[in-house]
Amino acid sequence: MTENNTDNPILIKVSDLRKSFGEVNVLNGIDTTFRKGDVVAIIGPSGCGKSTFLRSLNLLEVPTSGTVEFEGVNITDKSVDINKMREKIGMVFQQFNLFPNMTVKENIMLAPVKLGKLSKEEASAKADELLARVGLPDKADEYPNMLSGGQKQRIAIARSLAMQPDIMLFDEPTSALDPEMVGEVLSLMKQLAEDGMTMIIVTHEMGFAREVSNRVMFICDGVIAEENDPQTFFNEPKNPRLKDFLSKVL
Amino acid sequence: MKKQTKRICFLILCCVSLAFALCACDQGKESSGDETLPLKVNNVDELTGSKIGVQLGTTGDIYVSDYEGDDAGTIIERYNKGNDAVQALKQDKIDAVVIDEEPAKAFVSANPELVILDEEFADEFYAICVSKDNPELTASINSALATLTENGTLDRIKKNYTGTDTEKGQLPYEKKDVERPNGKLVVATNAQFPPYEYYQDGKIVGLDIDMMQAVCDELGMELAIEDMEFDSIINAVQSGKADVGAAGMTVTEDRLKNIDFTDSYTNAKQVILVKDPNTLVQKLSLTEKLEQNFVTEGRWKYIAKGLGNTLIITIFAALIGIVLGFFVAIVRSWHDKNGDLNILNFICKLYLTVIRGTPAMVQLLIIYYVIFASVNVNKIVAAVIAFGINSGAYVAEIVRSGIMSIDNGQFEAGRSLGLNFTQTMKSIILPQAFKNVLPALANEFIVLIKETSISGYIGLADLTKGGDIIRSITYEPLFPLLAVAIVYLVIVMFLSAGVSKLERRLASSDRK
Ligand SMILES: Nc1ncnc2c1ncn2[C@@H]1O[C@H](COP(=O)(O)OP(=O)(O)OP(=O)(O)O)[C@@H](O)[C@H]1O
Ligand SMILES: [Mg+2]
Repeated sequence: MTENNTDNPILIKVSDLRKSFGEVNVLNGIDTTFRKGDVVAIIGPSGCGKSTFLRSLNLLEVPTSGTVEFEGVNITDKSVDINKMREKIGMVFQQFNLFPNMTVKENIMLAPVKLGKLSKEEASAKADELLARVGLPDKADEYPNMLSGGQKQRIAIARSLAMQPDIMLFDEPTSALDPEMVGEVLSLMKQLAEDGMTMIIVTHEMGFAREVSNRVMFICDGVIAEENDPQTFFNEPKNPRLKDFLSKVL
Repeated sequence: MKKQTKRICFLILCCVSLAFALCACDQGKESSGDETLPLKVNNVDELTGSKIGVQLGTTGDIYVSDYEGDDAGTIIERYNKGNDAVQALKQDKIDAVVIDEEPAKAFVSANPELVILDEEFADEFYAICVSKDNPELTASINSALATLTENGTLDRIKKNYTGTDTEKGQLPYEKKDVERPNGKLVVATNAQFPPYEYYQDGKIVGLDIDMMQAVCDELGMELAIEDMEFDSIINAVQSGKADVGAAGMTVTEDRLKNIDFTDSYTNAKQVILVKDPNTLVQKLSLTEKLEQNFVTEGRWKYIAKGLGNTLIITIFAALIGIVLGFFVAIVRSWHDKNGDLNILNFICKLYLTVIRGTPAMVQLLIIYYVIFASVNVNKIVAAVIAFGINSGAYVAEIVRSGIMSIDNGQFEAGRSLGLNFTQTMKSIILPQAFKNVLPALANEFIVLIKETSISGYIGLADLTKGGDIIRSITYEPLFPLLAVAIVYLVIVMFLSAGVSKLERRLASSDRK
């Protein structure tokens, strides 16, 4: 899975992205591009700005300076309708964030119907198809709090997929799960990658990063300290902080 | 629901037995000794050092105020209604009531234990008050009064109400069948002042009312009566809420500063009313009392109509409150999340501070007498607006706390799917917030329904006022007040039951 995507069109282009919260500088100038078909794993020590970076890509965090271009449009420009952009950028959270007052199926159908992407009937059919795809066809009418953590995260992925995004962002999707449930979520994500979904994944699952991604990114102190294909990244790390980090987590 | 009905029945039963018990102790207080007890006050001089009751804003109030703060320790108690002063006198809370002669007579005939002292307190003249901005109206009423005096109409009206026993009720004024091309004459009065103005068979009647009808017949105008607190009448006329005030109102120097008066239409006296402790009072039995308070002349209708108004005010005020409250809560949350809408947010904060920092009653009076001063607005509409605005402030803070109780991840999940702020709020945040704050919201509306009981201050015949009207007719506080209390209680209990049902339904998504 480490094929090169350099000929594919650019989906996201990040230029000199900076973000500070008051006095604290969290992102200190990030430049990178994500191409169609890329599966990029982002790793790094806690508090180094991984989530902030990921959330800047769909403007859940508004960058202090720099630009994020999505499919050629600079989404940091105030005149851009960010809601339209977000329809194409799926996001999966560590805490799932399913809507507890809706059934599983309603969770999946909400956005496509509300945003006029699909009619109710189409959305319902789409939800059934997605539930089958994430392996939970019998949970359609359950409420989220009757599901296990792993099931919740698979529903969250299905909900995101219902909008047919061009790219999906994952922020530590398995960190809130009991160990026995990590596998089911990772294998679903692997499935997605194999189906050609473009994915950016902040994760602590090194094995998954090595196996599934075509590129691994080490973020440290708000910059990309090292970036490479997984083989080189894990076998021949150059940055001393990365070496130190890997020695601790591997 | 069945359990609820049972509980309410039980409650009413409790109230009724309470009424029995209270009646029984009432009976026990009857005086029975043989020796004659002295009156507490026998003449004007003895007012010094006693406890004097008056109706707020009447000339009696103005005169006895001279006694206030004297060395003898005279105490003045001011009541909103003459009737309240009389109730206090009957219960020995005060020693004497200084009041106009004719209402005093009416009180004495209904309450045999009261007597009017022979020595009168003061002489005075009643006149109709008119706004200083409207000298033409004063002039035309004066000429109408002159005509009515000349042709004897005014005299007949007076005899009909204040004449000898044989004259009383013999010469009722008949509304004339004339053209009325000159519009409506709105007359402010305080229908708690027999025989000048009082309630009978659900209508306001009395000397002043007949006289105003006769004046309107002369002027070719349609008569409209507005009942309100006595001390609101001058305000109402000044602000244009009413064209004139006719309420047994005496011309005084202070009043002349604010308002014009027509020529006097009758003279009157201020007298001293005291309780004779030797009179044996014929006590009515419970059924007689119930009949007197609710059945005679269909008096229960005052409560029924009042209940209707209370419900209308509460329901529409609640609707306004919800709309306003949600709007303000959303603006404030928008500001918190996005950092813009500064001006709107400031206005909302100002609104919350002002409304929650001032009494609802003051807000109601300001809305009716100040904001709607020059507009002829229906009282119910004014009350709905006042209570709606008031309730909106509380709903806003409740809803905002509900919004803040929802995890930010819910908001981010909605936004990341492409929903905009409003869609996220409407479809995701508010339904969850609403569920969380439902008990607090229900509580707010229970408070609201009880708070509307101050509507009487703008002369609106709500539930509380309905009980008050009965009280002013029957001089019997227990039953009207108890009935009003029971009606409020039953509404509140039904409301609470409805809310717990709704809560259970909303909770279905939480079931494990
Ligand atoms: N809204 C905020 N206000 C202030 N500081 C913040 C805010 N969000 C994040 N930070 C700070 O920014 C830094 C980076 O946070 P971020 O969540 O991006 O780290 P991370 O790499 O995702 O860490 P983790 O592995 O713990 O998730 C942290 O020091 C955090 O305290
Ligand atoms: Mg993080």
